[in-house]
Amino acid sequence: MITFDNVTKRYADGTVAVDGLNLDVPAGKTVVLVGPSGCGKTTSLRMINRLVDPTQGRVLLDGQDVQAANPSVLRRGIGYVIQHTGLFPHRTIEDNIATVPLLSGWGKAKARTRARELMDLVGLERAMARRYPHQLSGGQQQRVGVARALAADPPVLLMDEPFSAVDPIVRASLQDELLRLQGDLRKTVVFVTHDIEEAIKVGDLVAIFRPGGQLVQLDTPERLLGFPADRYVEDFVGFDRGIRRLSFFAAAGLDLDVRAVLTRETTVAEATQVAKGIGEQWVLVIDAERKPCGWVALADLESAPETATLADLSLVGWGHTFRPDTDSLRAALDATVLSRTGRAAGVDADGRVVGVTTYERMRAAIQSAEEAAVERQSGWQG
Amino acid sequence: MTFLRFAWAWLTSGQQWHGSDSIPLRVAQHLGYSGLSLLIAALIALPLGVAIGHSGRGAFLIVSLANIWRAIPTLGLLIMMVVYLGFSPLTWLIPLVALAIPPILVNAYEGVLGVDPDLTDAGRGMGMTGWQVLRRVEIPVAMPLIILGLRTGAIFVVATATIAAEIGTGGLGRFIIDGLASNQYDQVAGGAALVVALALLVQFAFVGVRRLAVPAGLRQAGRS
Amino acid sequence: MVWSWIPQNIGQILQLTLENAYLGVASALIGLGISVPLGIACVRWKLLYPPSLSITSAIYAIPSLALFVVLIPYTGLSDATVIIPLTLFSLCVLVPNVVDGLRSVPEPVRQAATAMGFGPLRRLARVELPVAIPVIIAGLRVATVSSISLASLGQLIGVSSLGYFFIDGLQRDFATEIFVGIAMVIVLALVADVALIVVRRLLTPWQRRHLPPAPPSVLTPASASREMAEVS
Repeated sequence: MITFDNVTKRYADGTVAVDGLNLDVPAGKTVVLVGPSGCGKTTSLRMINRLVDPTQGRVLLDGQDVQAANPSVLRRGIGYVIQHTGLFPHRTIEDNIATVPLLSGWGKAKARTRARELMDLVGLERAMARRYPHQLSGGQQQRVGVARALAADPPVLLMDEPFSAVDPIVRASLQDELLRLQGDLRKTVVFVTHDIEEAIKVGDLVAIFRPGGQLVQLDTPERLLGFPADRYVEDFVGFDRGIRRLSFFAAAGLDLDVRAVLTRETTVAEATQVAKGIGEQWVLVIDAERKPCGWVALADLESAPETATLADLSLVGWGHTFRPDTDSLRAALDATVLSRTGRAAGVDADGRVVGVTTYERMRAAIQSAEEAAVERQSGWQG
Repeated sequence: MTFLRFAWAWLTSGQQWHGSDSIPLRVAQHLGYSGLSLLIAALIALPLGVAIGHSGRGAFLIVSLANIWRAIPTLGLLIMMVVYLGFSPLTWLIPLVALAIPPILVNAYEGVLGVDPDLTDAGRGMGMTGWQVLRRVEIPVAMPLIILGLRTGAIFVVATATIAAEIGTGGLGRFIIDGLASNQYDQVAGGAALVVALALLVQFAFVGVRRLAVPAGLRQAGRS
Repeated sequence: MVWSWIPQNIGQILQLTLENAYLGVASALIGLGISVPLGIACVRWKLLYPPSLSITSAIYAIPSLALFVVLIPYTGLSDATVIIPLTLFSLCVLVPNVVDGLRSVPEPVRQAATAMGFGPLRRLARVELPVAIPVIIAGLRVATVSSISLASLGQLIGVSSLGYFFIDGLQRDFATEIFVGIAMVIVLALVADVALIVVRRLLTPWQRRHLPPAPPSVLTPASASREMAEVS
């Protein structure tokens, strides 16, 4: 959809901002350009809508050289979101959003209707339509910025560090919002950030740049974390990439233990027998609806009266649960680490216990996921 | 309040309001000189200031202008015009326009220059042509300073029109100058009172202009 | 131009120049003396600022000749009749500059000073005012140049200044005299302007270390035009 064909940008004083860039952005995908300051990511982005022109090479949009198009016309077909929003302070929210439609000749009524639709889309209350930007919070302003970029329904969206100027909590919700929008709209998005975590969270493909404008690696987030191309990428990606990579493996791959789960009515004698039989130190106690009540240790079972039921004993808190159907191995591992017993309960959508995982089972699941990934990688490279 | 006593005495004696030297006539003349000069100055200075601010070039011109303009003695300028042009409308028009141009020019320049670059970047990025960015983004956002420049220009024009009476023009300064010449303080006081009233009224008018011309979103957000 | 007129009347030229200088500089300095405390008060008690601005702006809008005349019954035809209105005019420029200058002190700097044990008064004198000096002097330059130029108008009510050459030149239809008057006013104003730039350099040695061009910041106004834009 968007192609950088050996693009170089050199400035009059000799600085090379972009150095021989070859990059394909597939239609309907989010490609994140990430790297430190001075690596050419913003310059590359701005060559797509011709705010910057290349010194050498071509940028193609849908097979057409962007140089061939009239710049203003080209830009009206491309959404553009910047870090500090650039919302027009002298226009209301709805008029801000309606900017490109109005530029393209839509009637005021039609443009404003469209603006309100977009406000719904990005999660802004319609009551804010007549307010002015300075009356909104940072997060709300960013949503307006995104709505404004989407107003004319462009197939391509360019985003230049759009969420960097807001606090982490707001940033996380804006990122989630973007993922949700992409799920619905499937725009071709080129996203620039200096934050590798944001790139991994948001991107279908991540392009890592080196200072001096060189593209070092273009890959899916999972492959980037698992197979960094060189030392630079490895450092840039960060030190705990192994664990972070686990968020790309499904917890569904876990083999959960269903035997160590017993109801409250179970007698101590039965429980002790089960625990010894399967060789487990802890047993999970559930209620009539299969909701977790807590853990009981084998040692406590052995010292309790045989005829008592599990309901009579004091239990250790069940800690954090995870969802084997939707969560990743990372979430499962996190739940396991946080638990006092070294075990985590997997639950379904209603909170009912499905099974229990242990460190050993986690290890097994991680290992098989790794092996599968390596196979994919060599298949992909071959 | 001695001054007010004198002014009141003169203002309330009926003859001031009729005839060839009447108050209404002088007020009209004063407004005429001021209005015409301000208009011409604005027609020259606004496009120039906006253009220089938009392109970012020519800053040196602006800075030099800013430094020199205030130093020029207005009375001297007016009288010098008399020496060269005798007594004609241009004698007062040229100095008045010349004195009004710098504040309008400088404020328009500062206003457009000071527009947040993110706004013009966003405008261009969305597909506005250079003209559209100027019309829809830069000028509206620069409006507070543009109006300020016009208001400052108005102050200088009204003040200089007052002094112009020294070289024989009409206007409210006529009462002051003539009264001083003939030692009639009540006329002087009356004239001065009228000048004060007119000057303040012009300022009020600009408050109204500001309310009309400055977009709502900018007023509360504070001055750029 | 009758050049010979100049050396023949050099005494009078210099005397009137001095008198004009006195009127202009005195007005600006008294204005400074009023606006620094007033500005400090406006920063301390924020509610004071808008009315102060409104009043000084309103006065600034009134033609100087009218104000001279208003004062005649009280101060006669003396220097004070000219100095008082010019001082009031200078407030319109100086008070906003004092306020902006003081407000331009970065909050971390102010807090660090307090944390180190500076009481409010000492912090003002040792930290805030020094940082505000460039902005204040920028305003003082405008006020001084304007006052010197306006002081020439005092001649209209008989207060001796370079305006004498204008009026006398008009009566005698003598262009040379008028030129000399204009030139002296401009020269005087520019000399005062340069002198104040020198004063600023002397008072803020820490800024001299910046290699030109210094990056524009609130502390060093990027252009003199900004001073003009400040006047309302």
